[in-house]
Formats: sequence, C-alpha cells, structure tokens
Amino acid sequence: MNPEGVNTPAAQPSWSGRVNSHRAADGSLERDAELMLRVRDGDQASFGLLLEKHRSPVIHFLDRMVQNQAVAEELAQEAFLRVYKSRVRYEPTAKFTTWLFRIATHVALNWLRDGRNEKHQASLDQESWDGTARQVPDRSRTAEQELVYQVKLREVRQAIKSLPAKQKAAVMMHKYQEMEYAQIADVLSCSESAVKSLLFRAYESLRVRLAHMA
Amino acid sequence: MECPKNSDGAELIVAYAAGMLDSGDQAAFERHLKSCASCRQMAAAQQAVWSALDELSPLPVSSNFDAKLYQRIAEEQQLGWWQHGWFRADWSWRPAMPVAAACVVLIIAFLVKNSGPVITQQEQVQPKLQIEQVERALDDMDMLKQAGVEFAFEKTTPREQI
Repeated sequence: MNPEGVNTPAAQPSWSGRVNSHRAADGSLERDAELMLRVRDGDQASFGLLLEKHRSPVIHFLDRMVQNQAVAEELAQEAFLRVYKSRVRYEPTAKFTTWLFRIATHVALNWLRDGRNEKHQASLDQESWDGTARQVPDRSRTAEQELVYQVKLREVRQAIKSLPAKQKAAVMMHKYQEMEYAQIADVLSCSESAVKSLLFRAYESLRVRLAHMA
Repeated sequence: MECPKNSDGAELIVAYAAGMLDSGDQAAFERHLKSCASCRQMAAAQQAVWSALDELSPLPVSSNFDAKLYQRIAEEQQLGWWQHGWFRADWSWRPAMPVAAACVVLIIAFLVKNSGPVITQQEQVQPKLQIEQVERALDDMDMLKQAGVEFAFEKTTPREQI
C-alpha cells in the first residue's frame, strides 16, 4: 500500500460549485466522489484512500466473475489503472461505486468475451478442481465434511460459471455487493426492469442447477 | 395478501430470500407462506440458492497488489509526456486523418497526371523547333545564293581540292 495514501490528510476540496454532482440525501457530495475529485486535482493520497476502501470488493467481484484469483487481481489492476487514468475527465454524475463497478464489469465482460477464460480454465483444471482447491481448508471440519464442502463449492462455482456474463454480473452485484436494482442498472447501462429480469432468470437457473442442495 | 405467483412474485421471493424486505412486507409474506405451499416451496428453493452462494468466499488479496498497481501507474506517468503531448493516440483531430490521407492521395494523383504531359511536350516541341530553324536557315541561304552571295565552304570543298 502506498504509505502516502492513508495517513496524509486530504486538502480542502476545491470543486465546490464546479460540477453537477451526484449528491447524498443530505445534499452533501458523496465521500468517494469527493476523494476522486481530489485525485483529479492531483492529490495522490486520495487515490490511496479509494484503493484501500474498494480494493477487496472489486477483486472479490472480479474473482467471482472470472473464477480465477490471479486473473481477477490482474483485471482489478487494469480497472484501478483506468480509474487513475480517467481522473482528469471524472465528473461525479453517479455514485463513485457505480462508476468503479462499471469499469470493473467492463473489464471482466471483455475478458470473458475474448475467450481468454478458456485458456486459464484449462490450466486451472489441471492444477485444481475447478479452482475449489484454492479455498483454504477449514480446520474445524472433518476430512469427510471438507470433501462434501469442496464438492458443494465446485457445484456452486459451476452453476455460476454457466450463467450468461451479464446475468452473472447482476447476481454478483446484487448478492455480494448488496447493490440496489437502480445501481445495478446504472452499472450495466440498462433499465431497472431489465435488471430484475436478469436477476430472476439468473436465480431461476441457479435454483434449477442447485436444487439438489436444498 | 394476493399470491405473488399471480403478480410480480419473483422479485418478492428473491427479495425475501435475500432478507431485503422491510419488516412489514416480510411479515405479510410470511403470513402468506403459511397458507400457500407453492410459494413456500419457491421461497425455500430460493433461500437454498442464497445459502449456496454464501459458500463462495474469495481468498485474501495478494500483499503486493498495491505495489504492482503503483508501479504500473508510475510507468504510465513516465509515458505522460507522450500521452499528454501533442502526439496523442486519442487526438481530438483523429477523425481528420482519413480526410488528410485522401488529400495526400489527390495531390499525388494530380502531380502524376500533370508531370507526364510536360515531359512529352518538351520531347515533341524541341525537335519541331530545330527542324523549323534548319528549314528557315536553308531558305535564307537559297535567297542569298539567288542574290549572288557565295559561301566560303562552297569554294573549298575537299572534293574540289582533289
């Protein structure tokens, strides 16, 4: 972590009145948007704060999307690099997380679409059982429980992997990032009703595939 | 409560399984579940999916993630003069490139078209001028002969000397 990124007090924002911003219910500018505007004005420390806050959610989102942690971290690097490079053009017209996840989703969907996942999946299948062996074993489980757990995990991963990319992204944001339908719609650039439809079809597919686990 | 399966039920059941309903809606739906086996079954299945997804916990992030990112940012900044200078890959005048290319092609075509005839004219005009000059000179000599002028080269031809 950049040591400058955490402890340096950020300067007073100089953006007041300059932007048609996304604002919180109380009228104040969202904290992350404030930080990003400071990054735009050249404050590296604010970028460190944003990275500290959003690093794990973005990597975990991407990990669940591509089911490969090394690739997820690589894609997250790309996403944060794009955030940094886009700083000069940043305008807080939406929530910062909406913008960030739009970039992350775009990076992930590109990776999935380009078919690069198939090459990585082939190597994954060789070294582990569809990535499940990566999961740290829980010492509180017996060997039998651990085996059952690994089988269950594999099935969940396979069920998620079988979803179309956009449905997968919607589920990841809904289930793990706890985003509202409206925000998911903003990230995916579609309507709220389209998001509800995506989610319903995704959960229905998962229910069918994972019915035996109920 | 009307059975959600007859209306916009999927969203309600998903929200219930996710624990996203407010207390009033949740209580109303749970009262409905007691009397509707079909919804009860769907809600249970959805909750099972939700629980299964909870199993998917990611690993901790690599300790050198930030260092790698800052390294990449530093590399980007080293390229900054290139990216932010006049010779940018995303120039605003980039759409003008095809027009400029078309202009270059037109200029080359114009030059090629015009350079050919100039050479041909030179080649054709110069011999024509030379012939006219010789003919004019011969005519002048004839006129002078008729006027009685003798030319020196006519007096001392090698044949006469022999």
